[in-house]
Amino acid sequence: MVEIRLRAVSKRFGDTVVLDGIDACFPDRSFVVLVGKSGCGKSTLLRCIAGLEEVTEGGIEFGGRDVTRLAPRDRDVAMVFQSYALYPHMTVRRNLAFGLELRKEKRAVIDARVAEVAKLLEIEHLLDRHPRALSGGQRQRVAMGRAIVRRPAVFMFDEPLSNLDPTLRNTVRVDIRRMHDDLGATTIYVTHDQVEAMTLADVLVVLDRGVVQQIGAPIDVYRNPANRFVAGFVGSPAMNFLDGRVVDSTVELAGGVRVPLPEGTPAVAAGKTVVVGIRPHDVRRDPDGTVAFVVELVETLGSHVHVHGRVGDAVFVAAFEGHTGPKRGETLSLVVDRLHLFDPETGVALR
Amino acid sequence: MRPWRWLVAVLVATWLLPAAARATDRDGRIRLWHAWRGEEEAALAELLESWDGPTVEVLAVPYDALSSKLGSAIPFGEGPDIFVDSHERLGEYHRRELVADVGDAFEDGAYVGEAVDAVTIDGARFGVPLSMKSLALYVNDDLVAVVPGDLEGIAALAETLPEGVVALAYEANNAYAHAAILHACGGRLLNDDDSFGFVGPAAETSIDVVLDLLDAGVVPREADGALVTNLFRSGKAAFAMSGPWLAADLATPEGDAVRYHVEPLPLLARTRGRLQPLLTVESAMLSPSGAARPEVRRFAAFLASSAAAARRAERARAVTARTDTPSADPIVRAFAAQGRAAVPMSTRPAMRAAWEPANKALRKILRGDAPVTEALVEAEHRFAMVMRPPPPARSPTILLVVIGGALMFGAVVLVQRARTRAFREQVRRSIPAWLWVAHAVFVVGVLVVLPLLVGTATSLFGGPPGDVHYVGAANFVDILTARGGPLLASGSFWLTLLVTVLWTVVNVALHVGLGLAFGILLARPVLRMRAMYRVLLIIPWAVPNYVTALAWKGMFHRQFGAVTGATMALGDWLGVTIEPIAWFSRFSTAFTANVATNAWLGFPFMMVVTVAALGSVPKDVLEAAEVDGASRWQRFRHVTLPMIGPSLVPAVMLGAIWTFNMFNVVFLVSGGDPDGTTDILVSEAYRWAFTRDAQYGYAAAYAVLIFVLLSGITRGLDRIGAAAKAKVGP
Ligand SMILES: Nc1ncnc2c1ncn2[C@@H]1O[C@H](COP(=O)(O)OP(=O)(O)O)[C@@H](O)[C@H]1O
Ligand SMILES: [Mg+2]
Repeated sequence: MVEIRLRAVSKRFGDTVVLDGIDACFPDRSFVVLVGKSGCGKSTLLRCIAGLEEVTEGGIEFGGRDVTRLAPRDRDVAMVFQSYALYPHMTVRRNLAFGLELRKEKRAVIDARVAEVAKLLEIEHLLDRHPRALSGGQRQRVAMGRAIVRRPAVFMFDEPLSNLDPTLRNTVRVDIRRMHDDLGATTIYVTHDQVEAMTLADVLVVLDRGVVQQIGAPIDVYRNPANRFVAGFVGSPAMNFLDGRVVDSTVELAGGVRVPLPEGTPAVAAGKTVVVGIRPHDVRRDPDGTVAFVVELVETLGSHVHVHGRVGDAVFVAAFEGHTGPKRGETLSLVVDRLHLFDPETGVALR
Repeated sequence: MRPWRWLVAVLVATWLLPAAARATDRDGRIRLWHAWRGEEEAALAELLESWDGPTVEVLAVPYDALSSKLGSAIPFGEGPDIFVDSHERLGEYHRRELVADVGDAFEDGAYVGEAVDAVTIDGARFGVPLSMKSLALYVNDDLVAVVPGDLEGIAALAETLPEGVVALAYEANNAYAHAAILHACGGRLLNDDDSFGFVGPAAETSIDVVLDLLDAGVVPREADGALVTNLFRSGKAAFAMSGPWLAADLATPEGDAVRYHVEPLPLLARTRGRLQPLLTVESAMLSPSGAARPEVRRFAAFLASSAAAARRAERARAVTARTDTPSADPIVRAFAAQGRAAVPMSTRPAMRAAWEPANKALRKILRGDAPVTEALVEAEHRFAMVMRPPPPARSPTILLVVIGGALMFGAVVLVQRARTRAFREQVRRSIPAWLWVAHAVFVVGVLVVLPLLVGTATSLFGGPPGDVHYVGAANFVDILTARGGPLLASGSFWLTLLVTVLWTVVNVALHVGLGLAFGILLARPVLRMRAMYRVLLIIPWAVPNYVTALAWKGMFHRQFGAVTGATMALGDWLGVTIEPIAWFSRFSTAFTANVATNAWLGFPFMMVVTVAALGSVPKDVLEAAEVDGASRWQRFRHVTLPMIGPSLVPAVMLGAIWTFNMFNVVFLVSGGDPDGTTDILVSEAYRWAFTRDAQYGYAAAYAVLIFVLLSGITRGLDRIGAAAKAKVGP
């Protein structure tokens, strides 16, 4: 129930810069997802916010209160670890109650809260077991219960679904979002999976090498990626990148193919070389299309087909609605409905 | 490959080889056992070159092992024909018929009377005197111009000596040294009728003399041999009462460390008696089979001859007992003169039981812990208790019936099962498996099971070595009823058990506490130079524990110890006078000294175990607790400790067993002081076996009780460990 503000947060381990000047503001009650490739510093940032790591420079505020130097227990946060980190020597009941016991809550209050949370998470029948007698999904629930039961101001999750099987992952994902909506705390959620990120987030934070690449609502990030990294990372299948040059109101791809710039594409100085980004979903089959696409492989997903092939010499992926795709070796003509232009040197989106 | 064939071959070979060796050395060789070292051994080798008789086979045996080896070899025709040992063991050897009259090997009229007395039992000679050892008076010639004629004169000299120099250094609280003064007062340690001598007016006078010397600062307190040597060698003592070994310690490659000479002990003016030290006569003794062979007797006479004596005097400063071989060496001459004014140590077996009570009483009195008469009477009681007659012989019928019945029952069961086909089949199939474990079974059987059985069997016997008889459970009854005395009297099993349990609990608690504390400090990732600390903290464990124990004993010395020094310095700094603590005169302080030593020795093990266990606690569980709101202490108390607990249980179990049986520390640091109260069960068992008239059965009964107790403790801890483990799981 707080707004979280990061001011130029940097973290170094010795000479290794892991986080580099991160500025951000997460509104109260928002669901924030930190996303990025493995090793980009997501966990480190989360741990800095939780207080498990000390920041090297910069400051962190919770609701206007400077918490930069406070211990985790003075920040009123709760965390669900990737490994769940349940206390192996305690029963599920004590695992849930432990944080409340440390806060010297009355026994009756503790019992009531534990019962309530156990009911919510449907783990009442597990209360007297030890963690080693639980399945992965059950452990995950207990770990969430341990976080909820304390009613903290901020929830943190570090890749909580990565140890679950895919079907379970989807249900738990929904549960987490529902829980967030019910409890009304601020949630910070770390994942490397952009589907999870897109589906869960109110605020998406894309990190790369310890630097924030873009912050925004998932749909904004999807529609208007700030740079080539974000564009390639967000969206599935990933965006296609082709080299090109702006000529008049078209962009000329390698091999001489000209693609008209669609409506709303920013004006770019003619003659400039650019990187053209086209999402697989932003192309259409059309006999009048100017882009020739040679089909090499077709993946059928049921509602969609993903078609892998080539445009000129470049690798290209297209996604079409329906369940029947083209044949291997066929050449399709495509119309591009929407495209993105990036500076070839800096990768920054040209707008 | 048939492993059992090899096994059988090896067994047969080990059996046959000694037999073959035995067959060959019957052809006229002479077997000699001795405990000589260094120059004395070299002198023997030189002498053998000029021996013209049959070949002599020489075996050097450690002094402490000599008597037990003789006892277990000679009765079976395996031992030496001739051996060299101290005369005071003759009584025991005579009783067990390990020695015989030396006959014509003894040259009448050749030896000083004291030496002749020493080897004479019931009018017969059982040894040929070779050399004499006793204390004598060392005089520092730089500090003393004229040697006073009596002890009082030496005491009077104390006033004139420089600051920090004691007048007379000797082991005042050792009955061996004290005997010289006791003799001057007309007393004996052991009377001729085997009653305790260190009691009554003569003993009390002798103690008064020493108390006066200590009070006047003439003699250092609680001096042991090393301290006497150090004081005299560094010129911090004008006189020393010590044996020939001091002369050896004073010699350096550049000559003697101090200018000194040796002379016989002075008079005691108070009683007009002479200080007469105890005399040990090293003698050549003959086993019954050796004594029957003329060439062996001739060899004994050769070893004792004037020429041989001269050679030993020259090489090894050995003091001959012969009257016809004066030495040119003034020190040897002085010791020879002292030998004529010495009291031969009693050869009676009872003498062995007299030392401990005498020493205990002496230490207690000199520390000022008990009135003289009371302590001496107590010592007499203690002696009587050790010398009480062994329990009456019992008929072993009941035991044999029980064992026989058990064997019979086992046999019946076995036969019954052997009659079923399935069982026979099973046995046939398991034979190859048995062959693979045969060597392990054999080794464990010989090294573990057999000693255990022998020890248990021993506990059912009583009586002196060589004359043991079956006594049933009498030893156990004796022990468990505290020999009829009060159950919690000093030296009773129950008091010792109580002390042992206290000792174990306190020590293990300290080990675990210190081990955990240091282990956690070492496991902290921020600690710099961790590797160095780790090595430093393991050092106490790496040093042999008796070395540590001796070092700590030195540190707790009342006058010269580091602990005393530190408290005095602290007192100076604070501006208060702190009396030096006599650490070993009260149970609490002596026990503390023992515990301090053992805590120092034991914590590194727990520390290493803790460091390893801490590595198995996942970091994120601790972080989860941190986020949950646990302080550093709460994380330790509620997460770390319960998680490492199960891995510590086996270590605690081991630690408890080691501590329960930590003989070295108790024996070397407090030595049971005061009054045997800090003794634990093992050191008590040791005393019964080795310092109290060799009551092996009694000691074995203690050992069996210790074994039973430890098995119980182990099982108990095992349960706790299993329960804890079940909770935490994999
Ligand atoms: N304690 C540490 N010491 C040194 N480097 C670390 C430490 N913790 C993390 N790093 C490094 O910081 C980078 C970011 O780690 P992390 O935040 O765990 O990445 P991820 O985004 O996969 O969660 C990695 O390159 C990692 O090697
Ligand atoms: Mg991570």
